[in-house]
Amino acid sequence: MPYQIIVCGGLAPDPLQTLEPVFDPAKPSLKNELMLPAVFDPWAAHALYEAGHLAKQHPGTVVRVVSLAPKAKLQQVMMTVAQKMPFELVALDGPGGGFTDAAAVSAALAEAISAMADLDRSRLLLFGGWESATRGAGVVMQRVAERLGITEQFLAVDELSVDADGSLVIKERIEGGRHQISRCAAPPAMLAWATGNLPEPPNHPQTGMANMRVIMPALQKAKPVALEPAIEYLRTALPAAVRQTRVVKDVPAADIAREIAEWIRQ
Amino acid sequence: MIEDNNGQPQGQALDADIVCTGFGPAVAGFLWTLTQGLQQPEMAGVESKAVPGLPPQIVCYERADDISFGVSGVVTRARAIRASIPDLDPSAIPLAAKVRDEKLIYLLDPLGATRRPAWMRLADQLCRALSGVLGVEHEGLALPWAPEFLHKRDGFIFSLGQFNQWAGQQVMMTGLAQIWPATPVAGPLIEGEEVRGVRLAADGSEVRAALTVVGDGPVGAVGRQLDEHFGMPAGRRRDEWAVGMKMVIDLPEDSALEEGTVWHTIGFPEPEIFGFLYVHPGRVASAGIFVPSWMDSPVRTSYRYLQHFVQHPYLWRNLRGGRLRSWGAKSLLESGRRGEPYLAGDGYARIGECSGSTNVLTGSGVDEAWLTGAQLGEAVLELLRSGKPFTRENLEAGYVARRRASWLERESQVAERARNGFQWGLLPGFVGMALAGLTGGRLALPRRGEDRKPKKLADYYAGRLSRSQIERARQQAEAEARPLHDILMDLCGWPAVEYDGQLLVSHQDALLMGGKVQAPGEFPDHVVFRNPELCLRCEAHLCVEICSGEAIRVSAENPSGVPAFDREKCVHCGACLWNCPVSNIEFCAAPGGLHSAEN
Amino acid sequence: MEKALVLLHTVNGQLPPAALETLGLAHTLGGGFDLGVIGAGAAAAAQQVSGGAAKCFAVEGEAFAVSRYSTDAAACEAVIRASGAPLILAPDSMRFHRALPGVAERLGAAIDTHVVSVAADGAVERWYYRQRVETTLRRGQRPWILLIEPGSQPAAQPQAGAAPELLDVACETRTNVEGFSTPLAGEQTIRPDAALLFVAGAGWTKKQKDGAAHVDEAAELILDFVRRTQCSLGSSKSLVDLSGEGEAVLPFLTHLHQVGQTGSSPRHKKGLATCCHGEEPHVVGWRFIQERRAVNLDPNCGWVRGKADVVYVADAFEVMRELLKLL
Repeated sequence: MPYQIIVCGGLAPDPLQTLEPVFDPAKPSLKNELMLPAVFDPWAAHALYEAGHLAKQHPGTVVRVVSLAPKAKLQQVMMTVAQKMPFELVALDGPGGGFTDAAAVSAALAEAISAMADLDRSRLLLFGGWESATRGAGVVMQRVAERLGITEQFLAVDELSVDADGSLVIKERIEGGRHQISRCAAPPAMLAWATGNLPEPPNHPQTGMANMRVIMPALQKAKPVALEPAIEYLRTALPAAVRQTRVVKDVPAADIAREIAEWIRQ
Repeated sequence: MIEDNNGQPQGQALDADIVCTGFGPAVAGFLWTLTQGLQQPEMAGVESKAVPGLPPQIVCYERADDISFGVSGVVTRARAIRASIPDLDPSAIPLAAKVRDEKLIYLLDPLGATRRPAWMRLADQLCRALSGVLGVEHEGLALPWAPEFLHKRDGFIFSLGQFNQWAGQQVMMTGLAQIWPATPVAGPLIEGEEVRGVRLAADGSEVRAALTVVGDGPVGAVGRQLDEHFGMPAGRRRDEWAVGMKMVIDLPEDSALEEGTVWHTIGFPEPEIFGFLYVHPGRVASAGIFVPSWMDSPVRTSYRYLQHFVQHPYLWRNLRGGRLRSWGAKSLLESGRRGEPYLAGDGYARIGECSGSTNVLTGSGVDEAWLTGAQLGEAVLELLRSGKPFTRENLEAGYVARRRASWLERESQVAERARNGFQWGLLPGFVGMALAGLTGGRLALPRRGEDRKPKKLADYYAGRLSRSQIERARQQAEAEARPLHDILMDLCGWPAVEYDGQLLVSHQDALLMGGKVQAPGEFPDHVVFRNPELCLRCEAHLCVEICSGEAIRVSAENPSGVPAFDREKCVHCGACLWNCPVSNIEFCAAPGGLHSAEN
Repeated sequence: MEKALVLLHTVNGQLPPAALETLGLAHTLGGGFDLGVIGAGAAAAAQQVSGGAAKCFAVEGEAFAVSRYSTDAAACEAVIRASGAPLILAPDSMRFHRALPGVAERLGAAIDTHVVSVAADGAVERWYYRQRVETTLRRGQRPWILLIEPGSQPAAQPQAGAAPELLDVACETRTNVEGFSTPLAGEQTIRPDAALLFVAGAGWTKKQKDGAAHVDEAAELILDFVRRTQCSLGSSKSLVDLSGEGEAVLPFLTHLHQVGQTGSSPRHKKGLATCCHGEEPHVVGWRFIQERRAVNLDPNCGWVRGKADVVYVADAFEVMRELLKLL
């Protein structure tokens, strides 16, 4: 059966960038936040690749990405993401970053999804990352799903397969490096993905060109969203602890091994 | 249509109207002009020929993983940029500032380790003897007068990455052009004498377009292949280069440096190496050096020199306690107009640094590059409006003629012979530059018949190091798989760099913490040594010494003895390409490299 | 501090250590607390620790024996409503992390997760940007649900008390929990109970001094070490990615092993990182490792310096070969 897959995902700083918080009780931020190169949130990206994979197995499936971020930055990131696989974009032009309130973000995303004219909830699979690489809270997807009345929710999903009877077999990460296997009879369902098992698809210029024909207009009519501050921040800081690192060099490997073995046994 | 196992179309041709290669200031100027112009009423009826019914399909492919990953130390008068963007507000562009205080500084040698000619040593002595009168402080002399041609006093300091990002975002938000990052172009599609588009490196697919705009910089694959195919115009040569390497530094709290400060330096870490320091807003500075091809050292690792440069007392008093934010390096094509290729042909035009637009006298390239792009943009708008094809004649009449009639051409002519003196030596170099600069190019030193090339190791270090010392150093370098340069500098009295983990860090940390260098998994090595025999016979291995990222090394344990390439360390500066004395290096376009947006 | 509801769930009929840690936190806050327990054997488990609780609730029964959003959300919602406490403290287990954000939405509540400390004045500490920015925050909104990061609090001594009130919760679901799976046997992944975390970096698969890669030996050394020490095995993102891209590198590694930016930041007493130059484990994956050592070829590696207690500048292959002789 063809699905309607909606992938929620924001932007995050390119993982190797040096981050430095700038404190403000109502609106903390990162130093030079707009300057930092951004990527599509890595967890949401895994969800997107899984959505693309599922769409290929179920012809007629439509993948839509709903993203709340500063419009110009989102456009820039889309130039990479759009090369990965075909999808449509619903863009919300608003503040990105981790310090926004998850409830307000959820409300904006849910409203945008509810407003989709052709939304068929009986075929809806709501995808996203299990948490963002910015706020790292892992609450937005559940909140969005609740707002959309989706009661079948899965967190930290690594695998989804569809059985012959149309039921969804889902593997979620649980404690102790294990997976819980559940069977959900039918959509609608929300799956907040961990990493899944798919590698990042290579860039595909033709797909990118085709995607941009629909993504560009979507970006240009991105609805502005203002997020009310709901949190009183008392402090944002880099972890201060700097360790005195003892450097052991020019020592035979056997001696190093002896020291490590002793330390392990302690 | 062939499909891969993901069901995505593979390898089929894409049709566009205009395809650009490389997103730097030149292509930014081109796309800015073009997309602004296309929004004017008189362009309303212009349609795509490739995809009828749509507006012209304009795409740009950039090799780097983001449009903000460019490198340059930019202080620019921004004449062309401001002509395109009259209301340019530097506060809208991160790290941009107006130039407030500009100085040319002569740096004395505080270590006694540089290879100064006698006249320069004498100058140092005079400076020290008359320090009170001359105002020498911290081993530096701010020259009371700098030639007019060097001044950027009415200009801007930019981070090129941030400027590119800002310009790219503005262009893309018009919806009229697409700039694709992480999409290296393997080369042009040449059919007969006509360029019909480009071939992408990832899957070999063709992008066919009526016009190919080549702005892929000094070592870009498309530009080089055009030169190979069409040759260079008579008398034109690309034989002067430099490696530019910079750090972006968080200044210490107590730094006295003010936003808008610009220092140009000469004299240290070697007399041939020019340096710069620019102060951005928010207590951030860029400091860097240029290591030129005419420096006759056969071992010249830019990073070690950069570390000594920032530690020169004149700079260090302001930088000590600072933190490395970013780091990067690039090749500069310093042949200027002498290296100008055919600017236009059937189906293609060349703009920016690869078109020889950099002014080697004023040390300015970004604004010139933008101008060439803007000029091509205007020409293309005219051709689109009139429905004329992108033939050599039409592009020459529209683009090349504009370029010839502009200040770019006039100033390029002044600069054309300005660097000739450096082929004779340092003093003639400075004299020649002054002569050309002050007489508007009417007078200049003649060029030597043969260019100044790196010497043999023994000759370069004659009188300082014995042959046996050099040989032992070479053995040590091979055993430790490290560049020879460091060891030789130590032997010549350069002090070891004491790492502080903040600003003075190992080369590898500069790559990781500063440049944030990455290499995607799916691409093959983009630096290839064509004929291993030639490498085995090579004494200098300049590719190893000059490599900006320690990505090329020779190891005694490598059974073949041929340099090994580690693409995860490569910043795609292309210095190996022009340093190889026997042109034995294949340098292909590939994604990855720097992931810092601040350079 | 205002009154709190300590909301717990059982695992195999017992309260796990993280539950006692959350209970311990409630004791220290001093505002009084209610207790709610859901899951198999919830009533019995609740009574074992309900000493000091003002009110005590439990939801149990077949439907609530498994970890599942719809039933867990319904049970948690019922307990929170029954208690009426403005503050809800719950362990940040996968089960509650799945269920409670949606419950917050139903109740119009605020929720914060991965909380590592709660002060008596309501100031809460958690991390942003993948453990790279420490943040202290406060909210005026109530109810306020706080998911307490396991390992961040000392555990309470269980004190038995009154039997709980059993709440009758009705809920429909379309999901059945069918079982569990573990990754390939013998190739351990992150195990919270292990004393040592061993992190393998991408350097293991790179060309070594002799110009060739020695992946097979690397795999043998690592697995042998993991089996002998019964440690947790973590890996850097780049190494896991290489495996995902189908390259012949350490095939036993999966994303479950990944620590750092897009992996976990596990809590272990000791951590030993090998061949991780320039990779994130030192920064992020190590955040909650108490004693850290690294084997690395570059002593000035900025990611080790100031972040590890000891760095051994040596070839990891050689050190591991020697180490295995001693273990």
